[in-house]
Amino acid sequence: MLNATNSPIRGIIPPHMLEEIAKRGTTRQKDWALHNLTFAGFVRGQRQAMAALPTAAAVGHKYRTVNDNKHEGGNPPTGALVFKEGDPASADPAVNEAYDGAGATYDLYYDVYQRNSIDNRGMSIVSFVHYESNFNNAFWDGSEMVYGDGDGDIFDRFTKCIDVIGHELTHGVTQHEANLAYSGQPGALNESMSDVFGSLVKQRVLNQTADKADWLIGAGLLTSKIQGQALRSMKAPGTAYDDPVLGKDPQPADMQHYVKTSSDNGGVHINSGIPNRAFYLAATAIGGNAWEKAGKIWYVALRDRLRSNSTFKRAATATISVAKELFGDGSNEMKAVQDAWKGVGVI
Amino acid sequence: MKISFEQSGGIAGLRFATTLDTAGLPPEDAQKLRRMVDEADFFNLPARIVSPRPQPDRFQYKLQVQESSRQHTVTVSEEALPTSLAPLVKWLGEEARRKMREKNP
Ligand SMILES: [Zn+2]
Repeated sequence: MLNATNSPIRGIIPPHMLEEIAKRGTTRQKDWALHNLTFAGFVRGQRQAMAALPTAAAVGHKYRTVNDNKHEGGNPPTGALVFKEGDPASADPAVNEAYDGAGATYDLYYDVYQRNSIDNRGMSIVSFVHYESNFNNAFWDGSEMVYGDGDGDIFDRFTKCIDVIGHELTHGVTQHEANLAYSGQPGALNESMSDVFGSLVKQRVLNQTADKADWLIGAGLLTSKIQGQALRSMKAPGTAYDDPVLGKDPQPADMQHYVKTSSDNGGVHINSGIPNRAFYLAATAIGGNAWEKAGKIWYVALRDRLRSNSTFKRAATATISVAKELFGDGSNEMKAVQDAWKGVGVI
Repeated sequence: MKISFEQSGGIAGLRFATTLDTAGLPPEDAQKLRRMVDEADFFNLPARIVSPRPQPDRFQYKLQVQESSRQHTVTVSEEALPTSLAPLVKWLGEEARRKMREKNP
């Protein structure tokens, strides 16, 4: 009989058999089959097939693996599995950071928003570390996480910042929910959602209330050669860095300074400063732990209200109506969200 | 041949750009650049190359090449980068970063 083990068995049992087991097996067998189906090798391009499957057991399914790309690159990335759920700490800090950051992100979504992993079906979180050489980036490729080591000149390794990890994995959540188009205002909202939940992952790990948090994205990622404290500031967009090599942080803090550009898919990493600051204003006005109330409002909007073409205005009306439903008409929370979007000139 | 190059996007959203003229380059570099432009069949590439499944936080590259009467601009997403164009993008990216570093004594 099938043995419910956590070790990935990619390649041994074909996906169509796993799908049958996931549909018809006992709870234990379903869980096991779903785990193996969601292992990265099987899910690439098979999301439609997955959508027909029953949702995994109501209990959370936290399963993480880390693969080492050994600087070989590839699209999708290559590299053997070097770490899996429950293994003792690795000697490689990038492996531990990718694993722990994925865990903290899983925990925020599961403990606070009752979301079972990136796809809400308990998918395994697969991370590739040491991607290419001197690679100055990290990204979610649609199925898994990819981290560069940085060039050591501008950037340190990208696993170093837990908010960067939360940012990237949130792109996976967005892909499975609002699926915001990656261009113009919907793209800037997509970016902002990643900054919001990336920052909340960090704030929750540090147990910081909204007034104590730094509201920076990627603090410590820039090397000491660069004049800057982080990639972005949600509290004061446009102030994260000012450096002879990088130039000045181009983020606007309100709609009056919205940047029209064809670079960066229409400035998705630039204009995200506007909804980022709206979240900061709402969270600090509400007070307490930002992930509890403001985070919940933004999460429900992302999950249930926003669509691929949603604009900043749509995000404003969506979050205000969610705040009203969750906390009451005229509640402090609702007023805080309204004032926040007014504060950045969106409404 | 004049080439301008811009890299934008990535999680950091940083912009790196450079413009160069093969007339001002060492002959071996100029020759290498011409060969890479030819091998990419640059003037016949579409103006916008995107992936059917865009990936967030990937880089976006914009290249403009001008040669005598011809001029062409291509904007391409990293995850959709044609293999034939990859060496030119890599070379220009390194050049852009090198030039920006020089600004910082
Ligand atoms: Zn992003």
